[in-house]
Amino acid sequence: MSRPSVKKSLSICFAGFLLFPAIISSPVFAEGNSAPAASEAGKALYIDKCAHCHGVEGAGDGSAADNLVPRPRDFTSGLYKIRSTESGNLPTDQDLFEVISNGMPGSSMPAWEGLLNEDERWSLVAQIKTYFEGFEGALPRVIDLSGKVPYSEESIAKGKEFYAQLGCVECHGVLGRGDGTSAPDLTDEWGFRTWPANMEHSWNYRGGSTTEDIFKRFIGGIAGSPMPAFVSSFRVGLTDAEAERIIALEDKDEMTEEEEAEYTELEEKAYEYEDLMLRIEEGDEITPEEQKKLDVAMKPIFEKSWHLANYVKSLGSEGRPPAAVGDKVLRSQYRLGELPGLNDAAWGEIEDTSYFPLVGQVIIEPRQFNPSLDSVTAKSFYNDNEVAFLFSWDDRTRTLPQQNDETGETVEDAIAIQFPVKVPTSPLDPKPYFIWGDRRLPVYLWHWKVSEANRITEMNAKGIGKVSVQASQNQIETEAVYEDGRYRLWTKRALRTDDKNDLKFEPGVFIPIAFSAWDGSNGDVNTKRAISSWYTFVLDPVPSNRRFVYPPVVALISVGVLFGLRGSVRRRESANST
Amino acid sequence: MKIEVATILTLIIASILATNAIAAGEGETVESLVFPASYKAGSVSNGGTITGTVKFEGEAPEMKKLPITKNPEVCGLTDKFDKSVVVGEGNALKNTIVYLMDISSGEGFKKGAKIKYEIDQDGCQFDPHVRLLPVGQRLTMLNPDKIMHNVHIFSKKNPAFNKSQPGSRRKMPVKAVKKAEGPVAVKCDVHGWMKAWIAYIPHPYFAVSDENGKYKIENVPPGSYKLGYWHEACGTNNDAPVSVTVDAGGSVMQDFALSLKE
Repeated sequence: MSRPSVKKSLSICFAGFLLFPAIISSPVFAEGNSAPAASEAGKALYIDKCAHCHGVEGAGDGSAADNLVPRPRDFTSGLYKIRSTESGNLPTDQDLFEVISNGMPGSSMPAWEGLLNEDERWSLVAQIKTYFEGFEGALPRVIDLSGKVPYSEESIAKGKEFYAQLGCVECHGVLGRGDGTSAPDLTDEWGFRTWPANMEHSWNYRGGSTTEDIFKRFIGGIAGSPMPAFVSSFRVGLTDAEAERIIALEDKDEMTEEEEAEYTELEEKAYEYEDLMLRIEEGDEITPEEQKKLDVAMKPIFEKSWHLANYVKSLGSEGRPPAAVGDKVLRSQYRLGELPGLNDAAWGEIEDTSYFPLVGQVIIEPRQFNPSLDSVTAKSFYNDNEVAFLFSWDDRTRTLPQQNDETGETVEDAIAIQFPVKVPTSPLDPKPYFIWGDRRLPVYLWHWKVSEANRITEMNAKGIGKVSVQASQNQIETEAVYEDGRYRLWTKRALRTDDKNDLKFEPGVFIPIAFSAWDGSNGDVNTKRAISSWYTFVLDPVPSNRRFVYPPVVALISVGVLFGLRGSVRRRESANST
Repeated sequence: MKIEVATILTLIIASILATNAIAAGEGETVESLVFPASYKAGSVSNGGTITGTVKFEGEAPEMKKLPITKNPEVCGLTDKFDKSVVVGEGNALKNTIVYLMDISSGEGFKKGAKIKYEIDQDGCQFDPHVRLLPVGQRLTMLNPDKIMHNVHIFSKKNPAFNKSQPGSRRKMPVKAVKKAEGPVAVKCDVHGWMKAWIAYIPHPYFAVSDENGKYKIENVPPGSYKLGYWHEACGTNNDAPVSVTVDAGGSVMQDFALSLKE
């Protein structure tokens, strides 16, 4: 299969560059490889692998489409989220190839690398392009990444300022958790509900989480979603002082003649560059000289944008945190005296937060195919009488009880922490069924809901439909807050209770723990929820007082033995010498 | 046999009507305007005028007050209403586009410093609600609000457009488009209630009814035309346009009575 590589055409162009040095600053068009011609094989492969979600005619209406959030792309619209190209442009062939190869994290789109060979994936790129006629003859303009600003504390600090100024907070929230005040009302181009990214959960970024990826989304926007291109955030061709002056003049009720002249001059200066940008967007050719002039003017804008990308990058972790297994299991640390409360700084002493991934409950009807809650994290302390937990989870909205528009059910945010009633004594012993237990092995539940934020209800369950609220409720101290897109729930209970349906917390015993969480704004109620499988929780064995006795005793004995040995050697030596 | 022919004809007509309807974003389907295959701009002498009033038929629905869910200090200073049906005194229907569907030559667009193609976002509401914009003409978005808006235009035939207009930009030019299209929805995703329409028009024989329901199409070359209308909530007469004949220097009156789409 021959693929006309752009590298080849670039080498031809190189000769041209030698002759016309002015063209060197020309924008880069499609980088990387380009797709072959559409083929019958590509179409057959599309029907076999892609049509179930993306539809036979590419309209994003395959048989599985209705159950997917985000929905599969409608290829007939020409709107592509993940592009290396400027706003209003189609993606490059390479962009499409990479999305097919790498998949889209946080969505249902799998990575096809390893499942399909390179030629097969390229044949799909060609097939997808047939669904939108705009691809014909299109020369998408690639975003210039050459001015990358290195990742540094200084750059991050600058980016943080832009984050606040430019309106990122409106959707993504103050701390970037996707909890901005506009977040609950967002819909995509097709009218389906959509959410802004939680920038701490950077592993869910559909188009990757490198600083370059973030920069491209910022400059070019995410087509088909509410995320606009932010390249328009700064005035091109003006210094910061001039840009501020324009605003100051515009805000005056009346301008003097001199001010009017100053304003006109500044506007004309800015429009010179603005006009070039618009002409490019409108598909007009601009001369190499004009391009060069624009490149120079764009430099400070790109620099600011790199600062912003560095800041957003700094919010996310390197990949998804490891789940709470192995050395990451939830360990309750022993503490002398009073246990810390919700806002106590002592929680900071536990460095490792245990991370429990959540998935949609898809086994029992009604199911939740599209959970909006990603994970729960937990820390724990205990003393001789009590155990305290600090759970936290990100939810973009705080949903008090309300009626769901579609189902009419009353929904609200909630969580349930699940333990077995009887702790398995060996790892080989069966655990209760992970979704709220079964007939033989019941579970013990702490159920919390936002409408009663300072209360935990103790429940037992022998299966999802067989739940009973305990007649005698223990005193489980509870406190919860919702701040910047995150719930923090604190609880404290006695280690041992009199109720045989409660769990007893014994140090050194490995106790299964699992979670169910409901996001009311996502329509979660009853079985529609996010769940985890069983994980492990253990109270660290109490450090014994004997540690202060044994080591000195052993040391004394050792020293005694040494002295004894030395004495005996000396005696032997003196005996020999005589 | 006759029944079969009738069925096939119905199917054909239905499919033509269906292709006329385009998705306008937000999951709803809105009918499109009808544009001539080509248009030649020149000078017109002794043109005629088409005027009339658009009225709402039946009891006018009450305008729904929009919930201002954010930035109340800017957006909530005045009450905002859903402008999909704006009915004035005497049932006058505002924001109806009345236009010539099949004109193939006539005058070009008027030019001049006074003719401005703007949409204001003052107080988190678009004004005008229906904006006619010549193909090839840039648009200016005004933002006196000092807070961020994003200008999201739900084009289908023309390239997608969605750009941020931060609080520091009082004016932002928006690129011109090449193809006649629309009306397409304009939205601000930051303030989800903000919505308006842009019609990218290939010739100047379009008018939007004012608060008195009045419209006026001027300097029409003498001849016979199909007169169409479009209204956001009342739909179009694409399948049954009104025929009008304009005499040299003459004046034609054509009123419309529209009711809500079913």
